[in-house]
Order: sequence, then C-alpha cells, then structure tokens
Amino acid sequence: MKQFFNFCAIAVFVFTVLCSCAGNPPKDERELAEKAFADAEGGKDCDRENYLAAEELLRQAREEVNNKNYDKAKELFNAVKEKSDAIAKYYREHPDECMKKDGKGNGEDDGTIKEENITSTEAADPSADPKNPEMDFQVVHFEYNQYAVLEEDLPKIDLMAQWMMNFPERVVRIEGHADERGSNDYNLSLGEKRALEVKNKLIQAGIDGERIKIVSYGEELPVDPASNEEAWFKNRRAEFKREN
Amino acid sequence: MSVHFRLITLTAVIFACFNLFAQLQVEVKDGAVAEYNMAVSPMHVLDGDAARASEISAAIEKVLDITGYFKILDKRSFLEKPEVAFKDVNFKSWLNVGANGLIKGTIKGKDDVELELAFFDVAKGKALIQKKYSSKAALAKKSAYRFAAEVIKLLTGEEMNFMFSKIVFVEKTGEKYSLVVTNFDGSGRKELYSTSKTILLPEWSADGQKIFFTSHEKNNPNLYSYDLKTSQIKTVSAYDGLNVSASAYPDNKTIALCLSKDGNSEIYSLDTMTNELKRLTVNSEIDAAPSVSPKGDEIVFVSGRSGNPQIYRMSLSDLNKVERLTEQGNYNQDPEYSPDGTKVAFSGRDEKYQFDLFIIDLASRQISRLTQNQGKNESPTFSPDSKIIGFSSNRSGKSKLFLSNVSGTKQIAVYSGEGEVQMPSWSPAETN
Repeated sequence: MKQFFNFCAIAVFVFTVLCSCAGNPPKDERELAEKAFADAEGGKDCDRENYLAAEELLRQAREEVNNKNYDKAKELFNAVKEKSDAIAKYYREHPDECMKKDGKGNGEDDGTIKEENITSTEAADPSADPKNPEMDFQVVHFEYNQYAVLEEDLPKIDLMAQWMMNFPERVVRIEGHADERGSNDYNLSLGEKRALEVKNKLIQAGIDGERIKIVSYGEELPVDPASNEEAWFKNRRAEFKREN
Repeated sequence: MSVHFRLITLTAVIFACFNLFAQLQVEVKDGAVAEYNMAVSPMHVLDGDAARASEISAAIEKVLDITGYFKILDKRSFLEKPEVAFKDVNFKSWLNVGANGLIKGTIKGKDDVELELAFFDVAKGKALIQKKYSSKAALAKKSAYRFAAEVIKLLTGEEMNFMFSKIVFVEKTGEKYSLVVTNFDGSGRKELYSTSKTILLPEWSADGQKIFFTSHEKNNPNLYSYDLKTSQIKTVSAYDGLNVSASAYPDNKTIALCLSKDGNSEIYSLDTMTNELKRLTVNSEIDAAPSVSPKGDEIVFVSGRSGNPQIYRMSLSDLNKVERLTEQGNYNQDPEYSPDGTKVAFSGRDEKYQFDLFIIDLASRQISRLTQNQGKNESPTFSPDSKIIGFSSNRSGKSKLFLSNVSGTKQIAVYSGEGEVQMPSWSPAETN
C-alpha cells in the first residue's frame, strides 16, 4: 500500500511537472514564429513546398493554443520559426530565381512562360469595397475564453471603420457570441466583452461611439451547431449588423 | 512489457490519484455502505381509481429512490398480495424477497380520496408509521409525499421537502424557447411563456411567486418577471447591455444581477420596489452569475479577475471582503449557494475539458465531484432542503433535466421533452 502511495506521489509529481510546463500560452515563441513566417513571404513562390509546410505548422500551432496544449504549440511555433527562417534565407540567397518564379522576372530569354497575378489589378470586389453602401460585413473571430481581437482580424475592423466613415449616417450593431462551452451566464458576459472590444477598436479608428450599438447573445446563436474545434472557432465571433 | 503498456499504466495511476474521491463514491455505491432494501407493495384499491393508486406507489418509490439511501425492490418478486391487511402481513415472505422495509397502502374513493399508508420494519415484524390521509383526489399524491418524507426522516434522521417543490427551466426546441415549470420529478409540465427570441437564466423570487428571466424580446437582453398568479410579465431591468442572472435576496424585494451598462459585466443589487441600484463589484474583467446566500449577507459569483473564470465569495456588508473559493481547474462557473448555507455547487471544466459539477463544502473547503465522464453537465440548482441537486446533462444525447443526491451516487433523468432542457432552477419550499 505504501508503495502504491509512493508511486502515487511520484505520479502526481510527474503530472504536476507536465502541468506546469503546459501552464501558459507560448507568447514569445508565437510572436517570433508569426513574424518569421511573415518575413518568409517573399519565398512563397520560389520555395513553395516549404512555405506551405510552414503555413500548415503555424495553423496547427494556433490550434494547439486553442486546445491549451501549450507544450505542443511551443514546439510547433519553434518549428515554424525554423522553417520560415530557412525560407527567408533561401529567398535572400536566390533572389533571381525567386523573382522569376513569382512572375516578377522578365522571362523573355529563358523560354519560360510569364505569368502574372492579375486579380490585384482588377477593380476591387464590390462586396469588400468600403465605398459600396451594400458592402458585406466581415465576421471577427476570437480565441477560446478570450475577447482580445486577433491581429489577423484587425483589417476587418479597419475596413468596417472606412465604411462607417464613408456612410456617416449609418448606425451599426455589433453582436457578440460565444461557443457552447462554459455556462450561459458567463458566455453572455464574454459575448458582451467581445462586442465591446470591437466597438472600442472602431472608436479608436475615429468612429463616434453613438453610432455603434452592441448586444450579446452568449452561446445562443451558433452559426455551426457541431461540437468540434472548427465549429467552436466559427461560433466565437462578433458580427456587424445594419441598424438603419 | 511494452513501453506503450507501461505508459498506459502510469496514466491510469495518475488518473487514479486524481480521482480518489470519485473512486470512493463508487465504493460506497458498490456496497461498502449497505443499501436499505425497500419494498413498496402495490396499493390495495377499494372502489377507487386504480391509475391513481399506481401513480401514488410510483411517487413514493421515486422520492425514496432519488435520495440514494434506498434500493427499491422489483414488484414482480413480491410473494404477498396487496389485499393482505396491515395486521396480517406475513413478514417472512418479505424477508424472503430481501426487504428491510415494507410500505403498504389502501386507497378509497374517486373524488374524495382516503389513503392509508403504513411502513413496516420487516426484521422487527411491526409497523413503525401508520397514517390515514383524507383529501380531494388532486392532493392524494401530496399526501403520499408527506408519508415518504416521514419514512425518510425516521430512517435517516434527515428532514427533506424537495418533493413538494417545483423546477423551472428553459426548453429550447429548434428556434423556439419555452419557459417551463414542472414538479420536482418532471411531471405536470406547464409552459409559462414562449418566444423565438431568447429566454435565459430563469430564477425564482424568494417567495416562489415570480420567476425572473432574461429575453432578447426587445433585441437587448432585458430582465423580466413572470407572475405565477396573474401570468403577467413585467420588465424588471432594461439597461443597455446585459440584464441577466437575477438571484433573490431573502427580503423578497432585492435581487442581485449582472449588468454591463457601465462598460463591463459587473454585479449590482436592485431593489425591485424602488428601483434603487447599487454596484457591488468593480473590476475590469468579467464579474457575473451572482448567487445570494440564504441569509442575504453574501454572494458567490464568477469572475475572470485572475485570468480565467473562478468562483469567489463576497461579503455584502463589506464589499472589500472577497475570497476566492476555487483553486483547481481553469474554468469554474455557475456558482449556486445551497439554501442551508453550507455548500456551493458549480460547474467546472475538468482535465479532459469536460464540464462537470462540483460541490464546495464551505466549512471544510473540501471540493467533491458530482459528475464524471457523462457528457456536459451544467447549471446546478439545489432543492430547498439542500439534499438534491438538479442540473441539465446531455449524457444521453439530448439535454435533459437530471436530479442527483448530494453525494452523486444516485442520478436520474426526470424530464425529457421535445427540446433541450437548459438552465434549470429549483423553487423555494412549498409553492402552489
């Protein structure tokens, strides 16, 4: 029996150690990885295979953060950083090749086909044009139990701010939502916090707070009723709605 | 032995160490504490209503069963006929079916019902309680409950009154929300109100005459009250933002609630007669879900002030006296004060990211676990005697209303309707 307790004590210790490692989101690692990945963009076409691999690793790492598997996330972020650095290095060392591959080379002498990405030169998509009164409003997403706006979603709010600048008579409503996990009352508060956070970002961008109403629905109105990470991510959101 | 197997063993041991309490529960359930075998004989019907007779014996069985103290014996094994008079009981035949106790009864009359009930100690071979109840038919079940409460008191020493109370909850069917009241056992469903907008977080007034709830009926989560006598719905609080999670003070006019009008979820007290509002919490993180103590001298609530939701208690006479009650886990919510003031139930996310129910004993600070590995369990609510806990669980697919005794050894589904049962709240004692 005593042995069993000793074993228990050791086991608890091991578990505690494991827990303490998994205690906090790997913020620094994440920051470094995200930055390295952004810097590697120049190598997107010339070192495409590695770039896609880094992209996938980053996606997995973010998911592990959501799942609170911080050890795993840290490992993955480090891998993203390593891979991204390698891509950036390749890009720096082979600028000519990269220029050709991403269609920026002249391509006249080497017999390759010149290919240009023309979508960016087309007229702006009207559904994402802030000058269009009928512009589609984009949905802002959040991490589990968080209400801070994700960096990748800031452009959505900027776009919204531009639209509101262009149509000063319009009033919008921000609806805050939570995923199904957690209690209904806490999720109402969380939805409220999310909507408020987005509202504050709009105010910071120069929009009059009087033109922004907020309402929380907690976990009541999921867009995807499934119980999995993908659905939960979709459901943790703030949506813009037209009030007038 | 493979590494893989050793890993599994280690994991199992860690799991075992972390779940000593849960195992203890199972041991109790598996016979470390002997259960009391109760035989509830079918009623002897004298020119009465046979359906009512079986309803009454089923009611007695259900009440005894949910306490977790009794094993209700299968009627099919009984050797003695219900017609045998109280004085002629053959105790040997009841010993033979393994009964420690026996309940027998006769029922007479259709509109005016005469109910005679007796509880026998089989080993001693004598009746310990013998009662006669006369009432209108509609009250016969209540008579049976009184009898069951007496049997429980005699055998366990505990006063229980949960059988006389009701439970309100939200039933969500597709996009429709219904505010539903049932008896404690899920019977007698009554739909008070329904809407395609939301109905959220229903809670009883202290006198049991009103039900507070939140709805987005006017596109803002406002707090309303439903009067059970007049069926009138009144607006209680309609500030911009959240008006949610009402919890009644014992004075029957003040409520604690969560508002976000000042830019963040905070807890306030509201005098519903004078509309006087007092802010109770000041914190930049979420403060929510207050539950007022039975004396009205403190609240328990959930706050994100430490980075993730945890349960706190705060004195209402000294708002600086705030104490954190939960240390383990990083997602503890939905606190509910027990009416006897000794416990707080809450829902928490465990190491497997499942939502389960826990109970804090306030005197010892011991936290015990009520549910495990059985789907999502939420919104714990105490019966007025603090003996039984109601909650919603999706352990068998759709979310149903469940009851459990405080030790968690007995858990039964009592209501399953068309929709999903959410946010149950148990009434104060004796509502009519």
